[in-house]
Amino acid sequence: MLTLDRVDSFYGRSHILHGLSLVVPERAITAIVGRNGTGKTTLLKTIMGLTDRIAGRVALRGRDLTAEPTFRRARAGIAYVPQGRQIIPDFTIRENILMGGFATSGRSGRIPPLVPRLFPYLMENLDRPGGVLSGGQQQQLAIARALAAEPSVLLLDEPTEGIQPNIVEDIQNIVVRLNAEEGLTIVLVEQNVAFARSAGHHFAMLEKGRAVASGPIDQLTDDLIHRHIAV
Amino acid sequence: MLDTIFIGLSLGSVLLLVALGLAITYGAMGVINMAHGEMVMLGAYTAVMTSLYLGLGLIAAMPVAFLVTALMGLAIERLVVRRLYGRLLDTLLATWGVAILIQQAVRLSFGLAFAGITIAGLGPGLQNVSLPEWLGGVFSVAGSEISVYRSFIILVSLLLAALTWFLMYRTSIGMQLRAIMRNPQMAAACGIDTNRINALAFAYGSGLAGVAGVLMAGFKTVFPDMGTPMVVDGFLVVVMGGVGSLVGSILSAGILGQINGLTAAVSNDIIARAVVFAVVIAVIVWKPKGLFSYKGR
Repeated sequence: MLTLDRVDSFYGRSHILHGLSLVVPERAITAIVGRNGTGKTTLLKTIMGLTDRIAGRVALRGRDLTAEPTFRRARAGIAYVPQGRQIIPDFTIRENILMGGFATSGRSGRIPPLVPRLFPYLMENLDRPGGVLSGGQQQQLAIARALAAEPSVLLLDEPTEGIQPNIVEDIQNIVVRLNAEEGLTIVLVEQNVAFARSAGHHFAMLEKGRAVASGPIDQLTDDLIHRHIAV
Repeated sequence: MLDTIFIGLSLGSVLLLVALGLAITYGAMGVINMAHGEMVMLGAYTAVMTSLYLGLGLIAAMPVAFLVTALMGLAIERLVVRRLYGRLLDTLLATWGVAILIQQAVRLSFGLAFAGITIAGLGPGLQNVSLPEWLGGVFSVAGSEISVYRSFIILVSLLLAALTWFLMYRTSIGMQLRAIMRNPQMAAACGIDTNRINALAFAYGSGLAGVAGVLMAGFKTVFPDMGTPMVVDGFLVVVMGGVGSLVGSILSAGILGQINGLTAAVSNDIIARAVVFAVVIAVIVWKPKGLFSYKGR
């Protein structure tokens, strides 16, 4: 269980998250929804320790991570698939995947068996540079990299944003399978409410850096969406 | 002609050893390390001291100088640079301060007297290292006389450049360093201990500069200010080659060394320096990111 307890998070002097509390249940998909600029990406970066300053408490299965540097959080079992994918274009696909393996204890250098099952295309092109891939393939690569860390918690930041429509469904299926078949705990930042509702088990609604609603996914009502997301 | 080219190549080789360290620290950490030239100077003094006190030759002095300057680099990273990541101009100022400190400490210790005791053989701050006999001569190729020592410098530099390539592209630590050079936040999010890797890279780069200092001690006078022009030249190489590109650094070190050597042969060192600056300015105007820049996506 990943918990955030009254967390404040800052970039320089900009105060982005305000006293945000969140419980991410084990082996479930928790959808983070809200308008643009409400701090959804910052929430994931805060969990990963990538903002400038964090107050409050971030804990994974009772282990306090608030003061830990980013690489220790990764080694504690949290993997991050950022917005824009951020794969390394001049690394080969193999190197991009193996990069995730530095979070495992001494087992880097191995591509986990899960990757060929989910992304056969990547396995056929291991020695090509990551930069030649299409947006959707780069997204798959970013997910493969995260899986190489053998994580227990996966943070996904808008995995289907800016991706050609025929791959969107693929990626959505993979997100659902990773949870259903591999038992991964997933925090999913998603603009697409329909997908958030169909895939998510729990949700948290953010507005202006605060959690204004959260709970089981069936409580994500039209009324709530109308009030906090619809313009 | 051939001998002139060899002089240019040997100048480029020393430049390359200095620039490799800068390329790594500037490329990976965004740190402008002005104290890097002082590592060259400390390396040269290590060669002087080990030959005076331990009777070590130039070759044995190289690993010792590598260790001494790598440890010094590690100390600078731990004490100063570590606190300044992400603040480019502050790293420049702080390391410049460190450079002056080291320079003056060496001047005080060796230039005048060592804690009030004058050391025999240490003149007014100017030293030299004598070469072993087999490195001192010349051999002739196609009618040109080529200095054995200059060839030796080129060989050592090529070996160390190859070693650096191997470390960067064939080892786990090298891959972690390259990941940090491309995307430090993502590297950390992938479990890479960026502080540890940065410190190692800083120490390694400093060590290479130390070896460059030993090589310089064989053909130049050793004095406390000798590192200052080296750090400037090193940055010229890095900027012209393209930040974060090993190939770019190697190529631009070769080009600048050659231009320096050839111009000096037909005119003099001062003109040679002016020409080098002019070439670098022209390249930067033509390609602001250097010859081999990382293009991102």
